[in-house]
Amino acid sequence: MKKIIYFSYFLLLVFFSFFSYLFIDPNLVYLKNLYTGFVFENREVTTLLYIVLVMAFFLGYSQILKNIRMIDISSLKLLIGLTALILVFSYPAFLSFDIFNYIATAKTLFFYGENPYLVMPIEFAGDPLLLFTHAANKIALYGPLWIGLTSIPYFLSFGHFLTILFSLKVFIALFYLGTIYTLWKITKNVFSIVFFAFNPLVVVETLMSSHNDIVMMFFALVSFYFLSKRKIFLAMSFLIVSILIKYATIFLIPVFIYVLIKIVKREKNYWDNIYLISAILMFTIFLLSSLRVEIYSWYGIWFLSFLSLVQKRKTILYGSLALSLGLLLRYIPFMFFGIYDSSTAILREAVTFFPPIFLYLLIILRKFVWAKNT
Amino acid sequence: MKFVLASVILLLLLSFPFKINAQSPYVLPYPSFMLGNPFYKISLIKDEILRYWYFGNFGQFKYNLKMSDKYLVESKTLFEYSQYLLGYKALLKSDFYFSNTLPNLVKADKNNKNTAGNRLLLKKASLKHIEVLKKINGEVPENYLWQPEKGASTYLKLRKTIEKSISIRQKYL
Repeated sequence: MKKIIYFSYFLLLVFFSFFSYLFIDPNLVYLKNLYTGFVFENREVTTLLYIVLVMAFFLGYSQILKNIRMIDISSLKLLIGLTALILVFSYPAFLSFDIFNYIATAKTLFFYGENPYLVMPIEFAGDPLLLFTHAANKIALYGPLWIGLTSIPYFLSFGHFLTILFSLKVFIALFYLGTIYTLWKITKNVFSIVFFAFNPLVVVETLMSSHNDIVMMFFALVSFYFLSKRKIFLAMSFLIVSILIKYATIFLIPVFIYVLIKIVKREKNYWDNIYLISAILMFTIFLLSSLRVEIYSWYGIWFLSFLSLVQKRKTILYGSLALSLGLLLRYIPFMFFGIYDSSTAILREAVTFFPPIFLYLLIILRKFVWAKNT
Repeated sequence: MKFVLASVILLLLLSFPFKINAQSPYVLPYPSFMLGNPFYKISLIKDEILRYWYFGNFGQFKYNLKMSDKYLVESKTLFEYSQYLLGYKALLKSDFYFSNTLPNLVKADKNNKNTAGNRLLLKKASLKHIEVLKKINGEVPENYLWQPEKGASTYLKLRKTIEKSISIRQKYL
């Protein structure tokens, strides 16, 4: 049984990787030999395939969670390692084009020697990146430390686009592994690791789409780890680093101060609540992001990182899993209609929030029936 | 009578497009803190720090253009309040920064950066600056002897200076 689950899971990952290559941008000259145009000509089939793959992913995830006692540490390491290894080779821009923005921003600074907070990539007319970078008309959106960190994959690639693309993927995958390791250091609990590491939203948005949110959350968790060890200076430094990656963790400052007060008062046994409050705060900023632009699926990583440390609140955990599903299904309207504007906005929100709302209605209904029967 | 009417209509038709073309769509900033304001010195420090923030050829081009715009607006405001010495000094600063714009685009060209967009921006800025300078030139006296309550007086050749500023910008058209 265990072997069948593992084998099916890896087959799914391999298939998902192949599926991602169907989304290659027609203007991506570096991969033109792999371009098929399939997704643009067969929107219905693509959408259906995507739904099936996401559902299968969640089914596999639920099986892993269900059989958590069967998983020993070495199998867990192997599963995580292979997940990262397989998906590092997937095409990263199949659901969003952010990885191209990371490269364009890095190139603005490290190749052209211009400040990416002042100069937009579009100003470098004739650069081949402009053919497929979707936010070339924007100045850098990320924190300065993220831009600084991108120098590592950028310079290791010697300016070759595909090498930069895949070294950025490896770079993000390393932070995924680092986050899992930090979670382990904090909890020493297999459930926390499985809950986070195999969550399809985390896996797709981190290992496939390579969003830098995992980097921000890695530093935030390291900060909380040091805070739990009462190493205040290190904790503060890592929180600042996290904020300078993508700003969202600035919302954790009140929690940080709250813990400092607890430390001064020499209080104990408050960490479960701290992680829950942190998850709630990150969920708040996740919801508030709709005021700025819109809720993006990968923002789910913000609260999932902390929720994985909260094991007792099952209802919240189930809700977060349903929302993870909704966030992955959020891509469906665009995939199906090929339109990403206000006309499909309501549909996107409906698809996103339907699974958690449905789940909670079901829970309420079950409680109501249960109460009636007893 | 018909001839006069036709001539007037023709003149109007010819004058309208000319007037539209002469005005640049380039937008100048609002006046910043002026001399005497307690925040003025802070704004000067901020500008000095910004010089390093605007690194790179395009960055330096933008910085110099931004500063030139700022001091042109400052100069215009000061001239409007008959603060001729201060207006004169602000105009010289604007000229200094404006002269630094193109060399940065030349450097960018040498670094294989496409400067077409920024050159167009510079052209639009030149047009707008000239438009403002011509307006100022029509409102200030030709020469002015600035006599402070204490200290030596300064003889200001205002119109000549403004005409020089216009000629600096005309080179970029």
